[in-house]
Amino acid sequence: MKINAFCLLLTFSGFFISTLAFASDSFLLVLENHLFTPAKVEVPAGKKVRLVIENKDAEPEEFDSFDLNREKVLFPGRKSVIYIGPLEPGEYRFFGEFSPNTAQGVVVAKEPDNAS
Amino acid sequence: MKRVTAFVSVWLCVALSPIFAWADGMVVDKVYHPYVLPNEKAAEWRLHSRQTDTKNYLAQRFGLGFAVAEGLAIEGFAIGERNPNDRDNYDLAAFEGEVRWQIVEQGKYWADWGLLFELEKRTKESAYEATTGLIFEKEIGRTSLTMNAFLIREWGKDIEDEWESEFRAQYRYRLVPAFQPAIEIYAGQDFFGIGPGFIGLYRFEGQRQLKWEAGFISEIGHNGKDHSFRLALEYEY
Repeated sequence: MKINAFCLLLTFSGFFISTLAFASDSFLLVLENHLFTPAKVEVPAGKKVRLVIENKDAEPEEFDSFDLNREKVLFPGRKSVIYIGPLEPGEYRFFGEFSPNTAQGVVVAKEPDNAS
Repeated sequence: MKRVTAFVSVWLCVALSPIFAWADGMVVDKVYHPYVLPNEKAAEWRLHSRQTDTKNYLAQRFGLGFAVAEGLAIEGFAIGERNPNDRDNYDLAAFEGEVRWQIVEQGKYWADWGLLFELEKRTKESAYEATTGLIFEKEIGRTSLTMNAFLIREWGKDIEDEWESEFRAQYRYRLVPAFQPAIEIYAGQDFFGIGPGFIGLYRFEGQRQLKWEAGFISEIGHNGKDHSFRLALEYEY
């Protein structure tokens, strides 16, 4: 039996193109002196959103959150984008792997009517 | 949820369709995730034990890998296998090179995608295997569905030239970092296996962390005993 690789590629390509879903809301955080500011970010529940994190420190940091299921290297002097959600209402903790005692924060997902 | 179900159904239909010649050999192995961190460096060890009514297979692999660019990692493996017909004969059976490519930003689209390329050379025979894999992951609340579909080309003077395919899937519940239970499915030539898997993570200081995975897979397509156990330890630094 021969594989119809073209069929396979076409199937997967079709799904890839048809499954685009962009996040519309952005939330800016700054990492400076190994601290995230703001340390508490309120986002609407049930929506995909973007965390834009500007690392103003001279060293790289690694954003890590088991709650959000995300790991991302934050290069110094750059803005990094982390896509999260859609989230259930609740609190989702995150930290910086290189400065876990200081670089900490929480994303609070709220129903759209309650989100600030 | 309907969309996820429809999507998985199509993946399974394509993977299980008769256009495939299934991959032979050891089908149970790691289920790949489509993520690469820019500074990633890792040492890896994998064990696979498979027992049937008549044979007992054992394979181990040691790998060293690192990211060469944002979203692109390479890894080299040495693979040891025990001859199932001669239990005292455990040998270096193959070398393998692997490239993983994260092709979309995690969470940006409806699902996350990656590609895998592997080239394996058997040490004692003229036999080569090139693999191209499509890696898919979809986050559904606190669970993650990961699927791998591989196209494999085998060639060499000592083996028959042929195209093959493999399918792997893992549905994981992110309970706590140290313990994430999963269900795993593997399909290959004369093999359709399913069973529980366990994934865990222990974090040391900084970027250093130890990931572990284990799975107990039973072949359910045939009568008779065919059980596989897989274990993987990956130290990232």
